Amino acid sequence: MRALMPLAALVSMLAALPLLGGLVRGGDWWVPAALLMAATTAVSALYRLSGRNSLPVPFLQVFAAALLFTPLFAPGTGFLGVVPTPATFGHAWALFEQGVHNINVSAAPVVPSEGLRMIIALTFLVFAVTSDFLAVTARCPGMVGGLLLALLVVPLTVDDAGLTWVQAGACAAGFLALLATDMWVRSRSWGVMVPDGPDPVSRFNARAVRLATVGAAASTAIVLALVLPLAVPSLRTDAFYTMADDTQFGSGDNVTTTHPLVSLRRDLASSSDRTVLTYRSDSDSPEYLRTYVLDAFDGENWTMSPVYAGRDSGLDDVLPLPEGWEQDTGTPVTTQVSLESDAPRMEFLPLPYPTRSVEVSGDWYVDSDTLMVFTTDTPPTGFSFTAESARTEPDAEALAGAGVPRSLSRDYLDLPRDLDESVRELTDSLTENADSAYQRATALQDFFTGGSFTYDLSPPSVPGGADPLVHFLMEDRIGYCEQFAGAMAIMARQADIPARVAVGYTAGEQMGDGRWAVSVGDAHAWPELYFEGTGWVRFEPTPSSSRGQGSASVPEYTSGADVEPAPIPDTEPSERDAPEPSETDEEEPRPAPEESGSAEEEPTEAAGDTAGGAGNTTGMPWQPVVGGLLGGLLLLAAPALARGLVRWSRRSALASPGAPGAHTAWRELRDTCIDLGVDWSLTESPRATALRLSNLGRDGTPLPADVRAALWRLALAEEAARYAPDPAGGGRLAEDLGTARSGLAAAAAGGDRWRAVLLPRSLAPWRRPRIEAAAAPAVP
Amino acid sequence: MSLGTQHDGHGGGVLGDVGDVVSVADRVRGAIETVIEGKPEVLRIALTVLLAEGHLLIEDVPGVGKTMLAKALGRAVDCSVQRVQFTPDLLPSDITGVSVYHQDRSEFEFNPGPVFANIVLGDEINRASPKTQSALLECMEERQVSVDGQTRELERPFMVVATQNPADMEGTYALPEAQRDRFMARVSVGYPSPQAELDMIDTHGSRSPLEQLTPVTDTAEIRSLVDRIQGVHVAPGMRRYVVDLVNSTRTAPELKLGASPRATLHLVRAARAHAALEGRHYVVPDDVQALAVPVLAHRLLPGPEAQMERLSAEQIVAKLVARLPVPGPR
Repeated sequence: MRALMPLAALVSMLAALPLLGGLVRGGDWWVPAALLMAATTAVSALYRLSGRNSLPVPFLQVFAAALLFTPLFAPGTGFLGVVPTPATFGHAWALFEQGVHNINVSAAPVVPSEGLRMIIALTFLVFAVTSDFLAVTARCPGMVGGLLLALLVVPLTVDDAGLTWVQAGACAAGFLALLATDMWVRSRSWGVMVPDGPDPVSRFNARAVRLATVGAAASTAIVLALVLPLAVPSLRTDAFYTMADDTQFGSGDNVTTTHPLVSLRRDLASSSDRTVLTYRSDSDSPEYLRTYVLDAFDGENWTMSPVYAGRDSGLDDVLPLPEGWEQDTGTPVTTQVSLESDAPRMEFLPLPYPTRSVEVSGDWYVDSDTLMVFTTDTPPTGFSFTAESARTEPDAEALAGAGVPRSLSRDYLDLPRDLDESVRELTDSLTENADSAYQRATALQDFFTGGSFTYDLSPPSVPGGADPLVHFLMEDRIGYCEQFAGAMAIMARQADIPARVAVGYTAGEQMGDGRWAVSVGDAHAWPELYFEGTGWVRFEPTPSSSRGQGSASVPEYTSGADVEPAPIPDTEPSERDAPEPSETDEEEPRPAPEESGSAEEEPTEAAGDTAGGAGNTTGMPWQPVVGGLLGGLLLLAAPALARGLVRWSRRSALASPGAPGAHTAWRELRDTCIDLGVDWSLTESPRATALRLSNLGRDGTPLPADVRAALWRLALAEEAARYAPDPAGGGRLAEDLGTARSGLAAAAAGGDRWRAVLLPRSLAPWRRPRIEAAAAPAVP
Repeated sequence: MSLGTQHDGHGGGVLGDVGDVVSVADRVRGAIETVIEGKPEVLRIALTVLLAEGHLLIEDVPGVGKTMLAKALGRAVDCSVQRVQFTPDLLPSDITGVSVYHQDRSEFEFNPGPVFANIVLGDEINRASPKTQSALLECMEERQVSVDGQTRELERPFMVVATQNPADMEGTYALPEAQRDRFMARVSVGYPSPQAELDMIDTHGSRSPLEQLTPVTDTAEIRSLVDRIQGVHVAPGMRRYVVDLVNSTRTAPELKLGASPRATLHLVRAARAHAALEGRHYVVPDDVQALAVPVLAHRLLPGPEAQMERLSAEQIVAKLVARLPVPGPR
């Protein structure tokens, strides 16, 4: 009987395991979780069979889990194979980091690493211990529903596919089983079941009534669950596509009206498997598909200058020549794009640059400067179009020899005047040995891809007041494509190279047969730099491959090749062009060496900061952990703080003479007693209360004499304040109150004392003594 | 009126008066305790009733010192004490007194009865006929005696201490509720503790300590104390508390008969005296709580349910007191 509830709690948690089935690939990820939960349940059930006080159960459970943890996840590190040692913790930490990385970079469903399995197992372990405590020790099995809800939210937020009936049903069934078991156990403790009636008919009727009651309650709950969300505003999932006309540095803190970062990050992180579009291309290595061009930087965000949809900007057979082109010199590449019907609507077409012509039905316009193709109508979903682009392979030599841009608007060099000076110093130091615009551009790109930056889809937030750009470049160096692209475009403009930010998709994943699939996770941003004679050229500062944006590719021409003026192979160019920064490529960037002379203090400081920042980022993400711990502590301390606030607010009233002071002291004494779990009766006069409290010492002994005297004085003061015509007041109320409080606390049991501090009951209005309605007869 | 004028001057003056009360009461108490030992509670009630100008009903078995208490009280205060042994053949005139015709002077002369005293001890009051009982009770209420169309005031303080024997009820006329109501309080003396009884053997063995008792105050001082006690402050919340308490006896399902409005007045007066005896110039709930049972219980009639549960009126009053919230902060 006693072991039944732990088992029911276990069943409910096991039934919740399939919730993660859609997020994790493979068949055995749940085994360690199930093993740990079974072990803790066994501990709980066996201990409860002994009939002792059940408070130590969670500790025993954690102990058992710790013993099981070592052979499961860190075999060979434990003492005697089971007792965790420091090596075990080191191993577990490494696994944890691996798991976090696993979660960060992969999209659902994830092939689980050992670390991810450990994280899942530990999560379920915590849930199992908590549910055991809630359902069995605290006898509130309904609260386990909260835990299950937390688990339900995971697949719903991460995977847009949501839940299957089987998963949701299993979870609900496990919960219902727990509740039913609890009811059964409770009713058993009442003794024999009383039959519903003397004869079969009345028994049948009673059962029918019961079923109807249950049915009515259940259907009310279901109807509410279906109807209520309609009345509540919800988040849009296509926010990025409709609002992504600016790009930000940092994250959350600087979000203004629109919220593209979050949606972009969400799309990248969650469902990279969801295909947005597929296309067929002539080319073996197709270009990125560009949707927007952001050309203006306002200090925090890259935004798009307005585009005009007029008669003269309608989409013709042939698009205007791209900027910087004298004539069409490229190889024609045909790209047939089909948008998925469930992808968000696109007002701007994703096109390979430079586009020469687009065949698409409907009213579409083209922006002649940027060659963006867009519509002002609501675009259909799931349509197809064909685009022809002129593919050119800019060669490094030509780029290197590009002169000063002549025909281009100076707008592409505009930067806010109040841009932080340290950014310019960084740019100068990076490009100081580069002769040409091209060398400066590659030096900048190498700076980003050199290894000192960390790609992270959920970067830690920028501290309040910090310049997000400076923070990204100098401090933490964590970000994703938007930060990389935006920062490089800014620095390119500082290096006198016209630059802008393009937003769209990478080429995606080849499906064979000339077909490519682009998924939500391929959303990307990159800088485009202008070179006279060649036009706009794509650069790629975002780290690619598994540690970065997976499907991004660094264009060949930007890595130099074997061209004379440009510095030679791969990472070498920067070494030759800028010997000082080059060594930073290996370790950490030191943008301004002392010899540069232009700045004495700042750069070293920046370097130091950078080193510190890099150190932080290579370690585990401690900030969220510390933040979470602090938040948790704060949450734990909140009642105590509130109680302290109440006490503090009474301090001034205590000093006031006459009745108010005495009343305040007495109220504080009352709250102290309620906190400590000492009875407080409204039918007791003050002096009777004081006498009773005076005998509350341990084991029925009286309290110390000074405490008794203090209590007595407080009672007399309160009595006079209540009943005397001229309450004298004053005296040493605050002092007496302190004595009484500490005396009462010292006499209380340890548990009560802690409870009084952490969970002061006096904060709850229903804990205060109240006059029973029947006890106060009305006077006619 | 006197209450009004004294109330205006509350504060230090009243406090000083109350200090007098305490010192006088302590003296009286100390004097009586040389005679009756180990009964501070009964003494306190007796003093309270004396200062509140009420009458006391002592209900107890014979020989526990009921009479001794009354006599000691009278001697300590230095006032006249008369004792009336109630018997079935006692007549009203045996209490109030009669006018006797003097043939030589050809006029009626009034011979005052035992009621003309400061403290009248009515022993076994329930043995007298109702007619005689009511004569005494009339004097108690009105504090005057009317004989032959002439009204004679009784001297203050006037206190009747009546005793009843609850064990031997044969051939008695139990006091009706209406007459019990005139007594301010009812106490029972109870047997002394073994130690007190041992001490008693020593003190009472040779000669009566009552004779050694010297007066510690006089009637004039008692009268002034009684007047000053009227100035003891009763906060509005406390008045309400008393009314609520008395009212709760009327609505309590366990009681067939609740307390009268006279009970309310008695309770307030007694509470004032009790507060003064404790050296306070204002009444607190503890005064009312301490007096609720002695002042209220003898006026109540438990209902059939309470009788079935063997709940006495005292227990019911205690329960009502425990249920009633004390007046909180103003």
